[in-house]
Formats: sequence, structure tokens, C-alpha cells
Amino acid sequence: MADSSNGKHPFIDPRVLARLSAQGLQARMPMLGSVSGKHRSPIRGSSLEFAQYRKYVPGDDTRRMDWRAWGRSDRFYIKEYEADTNLRLCLIVDTSGSLNFKVDGVSKFDQMKSIAGTLAYLTSRQGDAVGLYCTNERFHTEIRPRRNATHLRIVLDSLAELNAAGKTGLAESLHEAAENIAQRALVVVISDLLIEPEVLKNCFQHLRFRKHDVSVFHLLDQSEIDFNFDRPTRFLDMEGGEPITADPNIMARQYKQAMAEYLNDLSVVMREAAVDYHRVNVDDPVDKVLARFLLRRQPKKGAR
Amino acid sequence: MSFLQPWMLWVLPAIALPILIHLISRRRHRSVEWAAMMFLVRAERMNKGMARLRYVLIMLMRMAAIAAVIFVASRPLASGRISMFGMSKPDATLILLDRSASMETRDPQTGESKRSTSLKKLADLLEKRSYGSQLVLLDSASDEPRLLDSPLSLLELPNLGGTATSADIPDMLERGLAYLKANEAGRADLWICSDLNENDWNPKSGRWSAIREQFSEMKGVQHFLLSYAERPAGNLSIRVDNVKRRESGNRAELVLDVLVQAERQPDQSGNSLRQIPVQFEINGVRTTVDLDLDSQGASLQGHRITIDRRLRSGWGSVSVPEDSNALDNRFYFVFSEPTQRRAVIVSDDERTANAFQLALNVPLEQGVENLAEFIPSSRVSEIDWQATSLLIWQAPLPSGLVAEQIQQFVNSGRVAMFFPPGQKDDGQLFGAKWGQWQKLSEEEQRKLSWWRTDADLLAHVESGDALPLNDLRTYQYCALSSAGNSATPLARLGDDRPLLVRTATDRGGVYFCSTLPTAQSSTLERDGISFYVMLQRALAVGSQTLSPASQRDAEIGVLGEADQWEAVAPTGDRPTLSETELQAGVYRNGDAWVAINRSLAEDEIKVTDAATADALFDGLSYQRIDDSIGDSASLASEVWRLFLLVVAIALIAEAFLSMPEKQAVQQQASSFQTTENQRQEAA
Repeated sequence: MADSSNGKHPFIDPRVLARLSAQGLQARMPMLGSVSGKHRSPIRGSSLEFAQYRKYVPGDDTRRMDWRAWGRSDRFYIKEYEADTNLRLCLIVDTSGSLNFKVDGVSKFDQMKSIAGTLAYLTSRQGDAVGLYCTNERFHTEIRPRRNATHLRIVLDSLAELNAAGKTGLAESLHEAAENIAQRALVVVISDLLIEPEVLKNCFQHLRFRKHDVSVFHLLDQSEIDFNFDRPTRFLDMEGGEPITADPNIMARQYKQAMAEYLNDLSVVMREAAVDYHRVNVDDPVDKVLARFLLRRQPKKGAR
Repeated sequence: MSFLQPWMLWVLPAIALPILIHLISRRRHRSVEWAAMMFLVRAERMNKGMARLRYVLIMLMRMAAIAAVIFVASRPLASGRISMFGMSKPDATLILLDRSASMETRDPQTGESKRSTSLKKLADLLEKRSYGSQLVLLDSASDEPRLLDSPLSLLELPNLGGTATSADIPDMLERGLAYLKANEAGRADLWICSDLNENDWNPKSGRWSAIREQFSEMKGVQHFLLSYAERPAGNLSIRVDNVKRRESGNRAELVLDVLVQAERQPDQSGNSLRQIPVQFEINGVRTTVDLDLDSQGASLQGHRITIDRRLRSGWGSVSVPEDSNALDNRFYFVFSEPTQRRAVIVSDDERTANAFQLALNVPLEQGVENLAEFIPSSRVSEIDWQATSLLIWQAPLPSGLVAEQIQQFVNSGRVAMFFPPGQKDDGQLFGAKWGQWQKLSEEEQRKLSWWRTDADLLAHVESGDALPLNDLRTYQYCALSSAGNSATPLARLGDDRPLLVRTATDRGGVYFCSTLPTAQSSTLERDGISFYVMLQRALAVGSQTLSPASQRDAEIGVLGEADQWEAVAPTGDRPTLSETELQAGVYRNGDAWVAINRSLAEDEIKVTDAATADALFDGLSYQRIDDSIGDSASLASEVWRLFLLVVAIALIAEAFLSMPEKQAVQQQASSFQTTENQRQEAA
């Protein structure tokens, strides 16, 4: 908390942290951590949580044999328990020039930093590892996930120092991340996703193939959806492309149609790739966005 | 289509304004930093189809609106029945107006006649479109072309009303041609307003080919025929022939023949009979006779009306009830006591003169007194030229003063007959000259080979029987040579030996007979009948001019000194002096009475059909516009309202096309929420 209130990290709001502190960040699937933690592991371990019976095979530790079951059925069963492990959160943030887009006050980039910083803080506080991967045309900052408090400071400092510039190379970066992140992890992508949905589909399926739990915060501004312009405007590409002069009277309908198709396609892609997809309006308060994110990851009652 | 303000069309390039404004506004854009460029790129790609078409339509609507405004300002004329497209502005416009009696046929609803309808429409049309620097009116009733200030003068000018005259369309065209040539008008429009009456058009006349030829030599003359060929069914016309005053005992009476002609009813076979009242008015006394009318008309022969015996001369009229043409419902006539018919025989041969005297002294009609006076050629100066109706000249052809006197005598409408003198004669008169006497052999040429039976002195009698000229024998013959083609033979001996010749004169009659009535020369005197009839007919014609009461057809110059005549009837509106001879009525000058009426041809029902009329203008730039009486549709109307409607429609269409698609916007606005819901369901 001391770090978040530091003037160096204005994107972290203590009030948001206080509001969200009650909810922990849960992984949707078993994680492979290096230490014991709050999250399920795919391998059986020594926690108090019973997992299952299995038949005894020679070589098994006889201490783990359930003698009561042998007494009832005259068969040898080994009693297995869940292993609790820690979670490794990999924040992949898009720092291309288009994130600088803002209409009034808050830019997509500011929103991205708030979400990433707050999430890093919450994750670190519950003892999980946090890593930060920043990309524009390619990864320019890679901080591998670690668990200690010093590492959080490094992550937050890196976030604070980020600038949005350059073109988007998110697709290539996601493929790269899928390959480089060694063990299964919670991969959180924060971007405006101005890429063809078909391209993104491959990226997310790649991540899923590597057994990562993928969440996406899709940053959009309402003005980008509404496209409310009343006279011909010269649109300057924030990523250095060719400017386009367009008359909204002629183009608005086609623009909105293209946007609708894109959003629809993206939803389909996310659903098919089982991505935890969150469309975030730049004007949405961060606490609401994250609360919704965290709540949806809470395990259902009775499920483990 | 033509335009009243064609110079406004120069502003037409202004229709490019919307494109210009569009291009300028594209340059006056503001710049915005934008992240979602991929959607703009997609939108641009999609915009190449319907959206671009829509925008092109918007542009077209704006351009159409501006074009229509310019058209409104240039005041377009739609000339439905006249094709004026591509026609240049004329330098002169000539109007040939048929003012004949048949043009006064009226529409019972509107009261407009063919003439007034054509004038109104023409004035309206010319007022709207250009008529050039000269607007000239030539009407059928007057000789002089009239220069008009403006087309509206057609409606205001005096002396443009209906007349009882006939029209001569070929003559009017010749006058128009002469005017155009004299004024060296380049491009000219020639408007002919007529009802295609066959008598007025005379389509078989040889003049038409000459007219066509001359017009085809003049480049740039456009002919328009405004035709009113329809004849309203049921129109009646009435006329009177052979008005005679008779006295029998203590009574005096008028005997006259009345003829009523009816237009055939289109739906009647001609058997239906109806009665019409025919009203006679003589000296203020009116009598009515009902006539049975069939599809052709009706006639009343030898109708007698008793009059006051003291009424020696006077006038009257006969009328039928009002119908579609007011000008042919009344016919005026005049009557007087039969006058003495005086003939003078100038001859040096008393025997021959005696033969003439005998034939002329016995009057042909009852109550007529004939007087034939014999005067030797040496006492010609004693002739009372004013009182003489017929001059028989059997003496050498005169020259000098006497020749002039004879010419004046003929020009005043009387008749001179020349017979060969006994001795050789070198004189010449009316282009004719006597040659040598020739004896004819008994076998070959004693009989007449041909004589004219349809008209003139040797025509058949009223019953249709021929004069007994076959019995005529001619023993000797005096050769006659005439200059040019001015002489028309009425009877011939063999191929080239005319026995009786008529020489062309403006008025009156001049006849040359190549033989003498005496037994030495022919059997004219002995057989007598033909000789008697011939002389009596010549005397009757000559005496018509001297009769105090005469019937004339309306035309210019028919009264001579028009200002000396007093209009007696009709008693209502008196025509102006220049129109006096053109209107039906009765005129009096001292003891002389003249009744002026429309000519017989105006009552004829024959109409030149449209194809024949078109053929008359074959090879010329010509358009026929078939109009009808009382038709209120103008020949050309301003259609700026139509273009104003186009402006309104174009602007409304533009507004609809430019309208932002609200439904799509709402759909887009809700897309965020919809997708969210879908995602939650999936989760």
C-alpha cells in the first residue's frame, strides 16, 4: 500500500485497492507454481483438501493408504490431496501509439496503466508472482514474474515510465509470449486490439494451447463507436500511417457497420478461444472494471 | 421548347456549384488524431458501392435543383402542338388572316369565332416567344400589309372583325412573298389562319406551284398553318336570287327565290325533316314562312310578297334563326322597277342595223322596256353613253376619242359587241383586228364545229336545252386576229376560225362576231332564235350596271366611290368607311341601291382536306396545327411552374438522401450492450 500511495505511481488509486482488497484473484484453471499458495495445482499434493481415491500400486507410499477403506472393502486405496500453489500473473500491455487516444481527460493508455498497476498490486499482495511484458512493435520491456515486494516496485516503476508510441505488433508479441512463458500462467492482455479478429484468434488459441489462463481487457472509447462527426475531417493515424480525409455524412454508416462487424467477430473469437474477455470503456471506473473481473473469477459455490 | 429569357441559360454552368462547394469543403476540414483507422479503411472500401451512388444522387439532386431554378428564370415555353425546338429567332413574322365569312363560325359556349380564336392564340403565342423586328398582318379583306407594334395589337386593332368577303389564300401568299422580298427579311415565320375553305384555297390553281417554287428559293421561311377545318353541324345559310318587282293590276309584288343550305348532321342519314322559320323583312314589315328542311337544305322558288305599289324601289332581307355562324343567317336584297334597256347600233348598213334593231326591241322579260337606236358611224358623237347598256358596232374599228369612250363604256360594266364592217378595215381595238372576208365552201365549214354551252352568250337555256346553233349556216366569214391570249372563243368554225370571241376585260364584256346576221353572210337573222337570245343576254348583262338596284359580292372596290354611298342596313353598328364594302348590308346612293352579301362560295360546304393542304406546302418548312373553335388551350404556355415543382422534388429527395440513418445509429449504440450480454451468456 505504501508503494501505491507513492507519487511515482499515480495510476494506482488507494481507494480502489481498499475496495478490491477483500476479493482475491483466482485462476480459472490449475496453476503450476513454484511455492505453496492459494491456487489449485494440477498435481496432487499434501494440502488438507481431499482430492480423490486411487488404487494402490506397488511403490506408493503406504503412509498415504486409507486403512478405513481397506477395512470396509478389503482393497487398497491411496488417498490423494490437492496441491495448493501460487499463481504467476503475466501482464501483457500494449504500448502502441494508438493507446494515446483520448477525447476528454482519460486516455486509453492511462486506463491501461491503472488496470495493470492495480492488478499487479492485488496479485503481489496475495503472494503471487507478477511479471510485465510491454509491447508495441515487439516486446521492449520484459519483466518475468517474481513474488517479492521489490519486484512489484520494479513492475510498477516500469509501468510508470511507459510511453505509448510506435505501431502495433501485438499479434507477434502474443505468439512470442506463448512460447516464452515457461509454465502455465494467468496471462492478462490489456490493449485496444485494433487488429483483425482472425489474426487475434490464432494468438489466443496459441496461448490456450500452452495451457495459459487468458484474460483480455479490450479498451475502447465511446467516440470510436459512435463516430459523431458533422463535417469532413482529416483523420491522422496515431501509429504513423497515411491520414484519411473523410466526410462523415458519407462514411459514418459504413464506419459503424465495420465497427459492428469487428465487435461481433471479436466476441466470437474470444468465445471460441475461451478467453476471459472484458470490453472496457475508457470512461468506466477502474474499480468497477476490476471488481467485475475478480468476481467473475471467483469459484462457484461447492466447486473446487 | 423555347425560352422567353434564353440568355439566362448562360448561367447553366452554375449547376457545377454543388461539386465546387463539395471540393472546397473537403479542403476546409479539421484534423483529428484517430486510433481506429482500420474501420475508416474498411468504410472507405465499402463506400465504393451504394453509398457512393447515394452521394452521387445527392449531388445530382442539388445540381438538378439549381438547373431547374435557372430554367424557371429563363421562362420556358412548352408548345405542345408546335415543334419549335431548335428554331432560331425570326427576323420577321407575317400573319395571313382569313377574314372570310366562313371564319365567323362560333362556338356556342364561348362565343368565340374561328377568327377570334386564332387571333387570340396567335397573340398569346407571339407575346410569349420572339417574333422578330417586324410583325406584319396581311388580311384577306384588305390590300395593304399592316405593321403591328406588338402581338397584343392583334386583339386591339380595329377593322379586324369578320367580313362577308371571300379569301384568296394563294393571293395572300403572293402578297406575303412580295413583302418578304421587298423587305429582305431573312428568317421569317409565316402564320396562316384559315378554315381551309376550298373556294378560298383553290388547291387546283396553277398558282400554287409558282408560290411553292418561290418560297423554296427563299431560305429560312417557316410556314405555320393554324387550321380550323371543322364545320359545326346544323349551320344554316340563306341566300336570295332573282329578286323582281312586278305589277299586276293594282297590286305590286316581289318575286324571289330563296335557298337555304344546311351543314349535314354527322349522325343523320339525311331523311329527317324539320321545319325552320324563314323571316322576310321588307320596308319594316316582317313575314315568316316555315320551310321544310332536309339534310341538304331547302329552297323556295318564286315566292311572292305583296308590297305597297308606291314602293318603286327599296330593300329587304331574309333571315333564318341564329346559329353557329351569324354572318350567313341574313341575306340582303334590293329591288327597283325594271328600267329601260337601251342599245345603240352603230352601222353604215341600214339593212344590217335593222336586223339588230328587230332582235333587240322585243324584250325578253315581262315588264321590261327595250329601246334599240340606230346611229350611223358618222354620228357617233350623238351616242348617250351614260344611258346605253349595249353597243353594237358594225363599222370600221374606231380610234382616238371614240375608242377611249368605248373603253370607258366597257370598263363601267357594260357590253360592246363588234361585227365586221362591209369594207376593209385596218383599225384595232381591244387587241383585235379585222382581216379579209372569206367565202366558205358549202361542204366543209358552214356548220359550227364547237360552241361554249356552260356559260356566256351561247349557254344552254335554263331548262338545259341547247340553243339551235347546229342549224346555223355561215356563208362568209371575216378573219379576226387578236393579240396575245386575251381572246376566248365562244364558238368556232373549224379548228382555227372563231365565230364568236370574248376579249378579256376587268369589267363589262367585249365580243367580236366574225360574221353578219344578214342572209348574205349567215342564217343568224333568218333562224333568229340564237341571234335573239345572244343579243338579249348581252343587253341584260350590260343593263345590270345601269339598274338602280343591284346585288354584289362583298369585296374591296365593289362600290367604287364608297364615301358616296349611304349605309341603309343593317341599322345597328355601322361599319367604318374602309370596311363599308366588306360587310353585308344595303347601300344607297341617290336612286341607286346596292345589296352587298357574301359570295356563294362562302356557303359551300367544301373543305380542303388536311392532306391536300399539306401537299400544297410540299417541300417547304411547314407545320399544320389543327385547332378547334373555343379551344382554350394556348398554343404555347409557360411551364415555369413545372420546373418549380422539379426544384421542390429535387430538394426533398436531396433531404431524404442526406438524412442520417437514425436506426443504424441506435443499433450501433446498443451493440456494446448486446455483445456484453452475449459474452455473459457464453461464460
